[in-house]
Order: sequence, then C-alpha cells, then structure tokens
Amino acid sequence: MSLQQGLETYLTGLWGAPTTVSNLARIPGGASRETYRFDSLVDGRSRGLILRRDPPGGLLETDRRLEFLAFKTVHGHVPVPEAIALEESDAALERPFFLMERVDGGVVPSPFVVLPYGDHAQALGEQFFATLGRLAALSHEGTPFREAAAEPALDECWRVALDHWSAVIEADELHPQPIVRAAIRHLRRNPPPPAQRISIVHGDYRTGNFMHDGQGAILAILDWEMAHLGDPLEDLGWACDPLWNHFDDTRVGGMIAPDQALAIWEAASGLTVDPAALAWWSLFNAVKGQAIWTSAAKAYRDGGFTDPVLAISGWYTARRHDLILAERLAALEAF
Amino acid sequence: MTPALSDILRGNFLSLAIPAPVESQGDFMTGKVAVIALLSLLAAQEAERGSQSRVWENAAIAALLKDAASIYGQDLLAVADTAAEDLSIPALDAANATLRRGLIGLHEAVEAAGDLPRHRSIIALYGQMAQARRLDLPPLPAG
Repeated sequence: MSLQQGLETYLTGLWGAPTTVSNLARIPGGASRETYRFDSLVDGRSRGLILRRDPPGGLLETDRRLEFLAFKTVHGHVPVPEAIALEESDAALERPFFLMERVDGGVVPSPFVVLPYGDHAQALGEQFFATLGRLAALSHEGTPFREAAAEPALDECWRVALDHWSAVIEADELHPQPIVRAAIRHLRRNPPPPAQRISIVHGDYRTGNFMHDGQGAILAILDWEMAHLGDPLEDLGWACDPLWNHFDDTRVGGMIAPDQALAIWEAASGLTVDPAALAWWSLFNAVKGQAIWTSAAKAYRDGGFTDPVLAISGWYTARRHDLILAERLAALEAF
Repeated sequence: MTPALSDILRGNFLSLAIPAPVESQGDFMTGKVAVIALLSLLAAQEAERGSQSRVWENAAIAALLKDAASIYGQDLLAVADTAAEDLSIPALDAANATLRRGLIGLHEAVEAAGDLPRHRSIIALYGQMAQARRLDLPPLPAG
C-alpha cells in the first residue's frame, strides 16, 4: 500500500467518512521526523495537513507523544498548528506518526543564510522572544503535556538536562571529544541557581524553527520534538546561541540585539534573567548542541550515509560548536 | 572527528544515486541537493586542510603530554609517542583518538590538582584545535 493509500484509509477511519488524499509531498522539516504536506478531501471539504512520521533512523530518539501533546497544550497560547491525531502503532503507515493542520503562506529560512529576515528582522525578533516569554509563563498544570512529561524539581533541572545530554555523548561518540567533555565537567562543578519556575521548554527554540509570513509576522513555531518540562532559561540560552546568528554577531538569531531580546523575554515571562544562570545555560546549550551533532554523526553512519542533513549536522555544526565551546571555556575565570 | 571526508563524499554519491520515491521529489529533493552542494564545498576545504590540521593537532597534543609527564605520570610519554602509521586521514585519526584520550585524562588530573596554569594551557590548545578544524560555510543569501 502506498503512503497516500495508507493515509486515505487512516483518515477515512478517523473521520468516519470517505477521505481522499492529494498533493502528497515530502518537505524539508528536520532530521528527526519525515515531514509531508498533503490535502485531504472529506465531505466536500478540503483540509491542508502535515504528516510527521518516524523515520527508519533519525537524529534523536525523541518522543512523538510529547511533541504531539506539546502542540495540543500550547495551541491558543503560542502560534502553532492544531494537532489532529496521534498514531503510535506501525499498522497504518508502517511507522508511528502524527497529523496536524498545515499553515500555508509562510517561509522558514535556513539557519545558515545571511539576512534571512530583511527589513522585518526587528519585528520578528520582538515576536520571537515575546512568544518564548509567554511559553515560559504558561502554566503546565493539568495540561495534556503533563500526561507524558515528568516535572523536575526546581534545583534539579540543570542536573536532569546535563545528565541526559552527556549520556547521549557517551552513547554516540565515535571519536574522543576533549572540548565538550571539559565543558561538561565545568558545568557539573559550577551548577546554576535553581530554576525560578518549571515551564514547558520547547527544546529547539531557534531561528530556522519558526515560520513567518515575509511581512514581519510569525505564523508558527515548529519542531516541538524535544519539548519537556524544565528551566525556561534553557530555551533562552539555545535561542541566543551564536550558531543561530546568521553570521551577525550583533543580533541574536540574526534578528535583534541581545539586551533587547532579554528585556522582551523578561517582560513576557514575568521572570528575571540571572546573568550567572544564563551563562550556565548558554554553556550547557553548546554541550547540548554538540550532543545532538554527535548523535547525528552516528545516525549518518548507521543509516548508510544517505541523509545529507545528518552529515552537515554531524560535521559542520559539530565543529562550529567546538569553536563556541572553546571560546566560552577560555573566557571562564575558574575551573 | 566523524564523519570522515570519505564518508561525506560516499554519502553525497549515495544520496544522489538512490532513486527517491515520488513523494520525496520536488521541494524535498531541491533542499537535499542544496545540502549536498554545501557538503561538497566543505569537503573541498577538508581535502585541502584536513591532513595538515590533524598532523598539527597530533604534534601539539603530544608536546603537551610530554611536558606534563614529569608531574602527572610517565605513562603520558607512551601516549605522546603515538604515531600515525601513514599520512592518510584514517591513520591520522586513529592516532588522534589515542592522543585525545590521553589529553582528556590529563585535563581531568590537572583539574583535580587545581593546576590553573596548566588548565589554561589546555584550554588554549582546545581553542587552537577548534580553529584548525573549522569549516567555513559561505554566507549564502536567503532564497
């Protein structure tokens, strides 16, 4: 059965009415899920949808259920597509997947191009960090997300995050990496202050993971596959990582000055940015990045070298993060 | 470091040679080809600088280990004597892995001893290593 036929059968069962699928096409959309767009026609009504299907081998072993529940939870608070259905068995489409509404009319620039936002950089930067602040302020109690997400203690967020990502490096490293290991040891010796609150953390909140309309408005925040509960400074540090600055050292995400970004985030979240805490989470995020790229390199090899996105992640971005880590370590006063 | 240059070039071939299913053509294939093009450009840099950077890094780590051996153990000398069997990238990487493991162990010992000057020397070497291995992505315009 083709993918199109599988979708038609599944949607017919889901909606209880004969459904046809057309214009099915895979689109670039992250290395952890296969992403397809298509049109469905049921009861004379056409709906644009997105399919996110588990790959045979992906960048990270992420939790599709958490991603799906994150979409359901933040919808209405943060610009995201509406979640439609989650299927965790292999029966319908050979691998687990979920479906969501498609947002049309937007663009998602690559994180590795210059001046991706043109005259709208400032406006997009303001929305980008205000949206992240609103996510930090959003209560997760009683939400669908809590069905699957574990809540760490305020003073354990850093340890949970660091244990997770250092374990990824331990498991997937194919060549010794002294720089990231030195950073991990520093982070363990110098833990940050406890989180001010436990928030839904997007996990990959950065330029390249949001869609905008080309006129200065963010349409959707995408790729919630690493969502979890934790310290909201984790997302802030990742969003401000130099890897995502589009070759512009003066603006985070190639959009907005760093002090403006932090002020907007503080106003929207109701939290304050402790410089020491943000410094810890910034160094941590370079470690987290290196863990992701380490995993990508392993997945590239294990997958028979056929996914070039995994190659560039495990190679170019890994070396960028080694540079970032080395610079940050050199700037530290203490061990 | 992984993936190796040969992995990248082999992967570029496979990515283009294996027929894509019909639903993976169009925008997806366009994006895939763009990434393959970038990888090819970076591979050229690695072909030009990869051996040189590895020879330099291996020598730099060996020198640092030898310098530390009188304080942190004579076994570092054996690690420092690790030599690549030839100048191919796989051989240089094999030696580099041994040397890097020695460097990680030394750095841990230096931290435990509170030896700040040597710690700073190692951190400085990390910066040089990262610079020597850097790949320069061209500043591509937004599409």
